Amino acid sequence: MLLRPLLRAALLLLISSLLVFLAAAALPGDAVEVRSGGRASAEQLAALRAEAGLDRPVLVRWADWLTGLLTGDLGRSLVTGREVADLVTGRLWVSSALVLGSLLVVVPLTAVLAWAGARGPAALRSIVSAGSTAVAALPQVVVAVVLVAIFSVALDLVPPVSLLPAQAPWTRPDLLFLPVLTLALPTAAYTAALLRGALEDATGLPHVKDARVRGLPRRTILARYLVPAVAPTAVRSFAVVTGSLIAGTTLVESVFGMAGLGELLVTSVGSRDAPVVQAVAMLVALAVVLGLWLADVVAVLTDPRGSHA
Amino acid sequence: MSPTARRSGLLVRWAPAGAAAAVLVLALCGGWLTDVDPAQTLTRPWSPPSGEHPLGADALGRDVLARTLHGGRELALVAGAAALIATSCGAVIGLWAGWSRSRVGSAVAAGADLLLALPLLLVALVIAVAVPVPWPVIVATVLGGAPLTLRVVADATRNARHTGYVEAALSRGEPTLTVLLREVVPAHRGLLSADLGIRAVLALQLATALAVLGHGPAPPSSDWAVMLRENLTGMPLNPAAVLAPAFALTVLALVIAFAARQAQR
Repeated sequence: MLLRPLLRAALLLLISSLLVFLAAAALPGDAVEVRSGGRASAEQLAALRAEAGLDRPVLVRWADWLTGLLTGDLGRSLVTGREVADLVTGRLWVSSALVLGSLLVVVPLTAVLAWAGARGPAALRSIVSAGSTAVAALPQVVVAVVLVAIFSVALDLVPPVSLLPAQAPWTRPDLLFLPVLTLALPTAAYTAALLRGALEDATGLPHVKDARVRGLPRRTILARYLVPAVAPTAVRSFAVVTGSLIAGTTLVESVFGMAGLGELLVTSVGSRDAPVVQAVAMLVALAVVLGLWLADVVAVLTDPRGSHA
Repeated sequence: MSPTARRSGLLVRWAPAGAAAAVLVLALCGGWLTDVDPAQTLTRPWSPPSGEHPLGADALGRDVLARTLHGGRELALVAGAAALIATSCGAVIGLWAGWSRSRVGSAVAAGADLLLALPLLLVALVIAVAVPVPWPVIVATVLGGAPLTLRVVADATRNARHTGYVEAALSRGEPTLTVLLREVVPAHRGLLSADLGIRAVLALQLATALAVLGHGPAPPSSDWAVMLRENLTGMPLNPAAVLAPAFALTVLALVIAFAARQAQR
C-alpha cells in the first residue's frame, strides 16, 4: 500500500505549515515595527498593519497564506517589499548545491564507515567507533575552523570565504569544498553510528545466519539479505539528517560568507520578516517530509513479507 | 584477577570520567589562573603571539590567553544546566510512560518521536529571537534531547517491570514511587549518566552555533563561541585567536562525549 505513506506525508506537511506559520507569527514585535524603526506612532503602526493584513485572526491569515502557497504566490517581504518567490529562487541554487553536495559525501562515507565499524577487523572497528564519537561530538564551527586552518591557512589550497556564483554554484567545486566537508563530516559520523547498529542487528538475524551456514558467498548475502534489511533504517536516517543538513546551512553559509537560503533565514528571523521566514521554513519542511515519505516507501518495498504486492 | 590488572581495569573505567571532571574544573575556574583583564584592549588587533601575550591578541587587541581561560565558565554552566533539565524531564516522563501501560503513555512517546524530526538548530534560532540568552539553548536542548531520553528510559522501565528485583519489591507492598526511585532508577544510573553527557554535548553544540549566528552572550563576554565569531576573519594574522577557543571547545566536547560513551557500557 503506497497510498498510506502519501496521505501521511500530506498530513505532516499541513501540520508543519500551521506550526511554521504560528512560529513566525509568534515572533515578538512584527515587521511593521522593525521597518518603522520605532519612530511611528501607535496609529501609524495600526494603519500599516491593516495595510499588510496583519490585524486579521491568525487562522484566517494561515488559510490565506496556504492558498497563496498552492498558487505559487508567496507574498512580499515586509522589510524590502520584494517578491518572496524571487528572493528564495535567487538563493535556492547555492543552498541546494551545498546540501546535495553534502549528501553525495555523506551517503558513501556512511556506508564505508558503517561497514568498517560492524564487519571490519577488531582494531579498525574500535578506531572507527572512537573516531565517529569524536567527530559527531564537535561543534560544527570547530570543524569549519579546523578545515579552514588546514586547507586555507596552512596549505593555501582554497579561500576561507566562498563567494559562489548565485546561478551556477556547481561551476566552482573548489569553493564548495570546505562548506560541504564542514556539513558532511559530523553528519556522516552520526549516521555511521546509527547504521552500524542496524548492520550488526541484521547479521544476527536467523535467516542471515542460516544463509552463512549454507555457504552462500558473502557478496550474495550482502546483496540479498543485509542491504534490504538495513535499507529502511538507512533511508530514514538520511531523511532526518537531510533536515539537519539544511538547518546546518544557516551556520555554514554564515561562516563561509555564502548568500544562500540559510543565511536568508538567519537575517529574516532577525528582522522579523515573517513571509520570508515562512517560505524558507516551508521549503525545509517540504524537503524533510519528502525524505520521510521516501523512507516510508522504501520500508514498504523492502518488507520481506511483500505486503505491497 | 591480579591486583595490578584490577587496578588498571579500574583506571581504564574511570579515566574518561576523571578527565571530564578535570576539564570541567578548568573550564569553570580557568579565569583564576590569570590576572590579565580579558576585556581590556592591550595591544594592536590580531598581533601574533609574543612574550607578553603568549597567544597574541584578538580583533580588539585583547589578550587571547586571558580570554580563553575566562571563556569556558558560562558555556559549561549553560550546557550543564540544559543537560540536567533535559535529562530530568525526559527521565521523569519516560519513567511514567514506561510504567503506566496506558494509551496516554504510548501517545506521549509517539508525540515525542515527532519532535525529533524537527531541525533543532532552526527551532533554537526562532526561540533565540523570543527569549534572552541563555534560554534558547536550554529550551532547544530540552525539546530536542528530552524525547530521546524519554524513549530510552521508557523502554528500560518497561523491561524493568518484569525483573525479579522489581517484582519482589512490589510484592513486599512498597509504593510505586519508592520502587521507581529505589529500584528502577539506581539500576539504570549508567544509562542516565550517559544520557546526561550526550545532552551536554548537544547543548554545547547548540550554544556554539547560536553564538556564531549572533545570538550568544553580549560583548565583552569572552565566551569561546563568541571568540570564534569575532576572530574568524583575522585567522591569517593570528591563527591562535581562533585555534585557542576551538581547541578548548574540542577538548570540552570530547571529554564529555567519551565519558558518556564509557558510562553507556
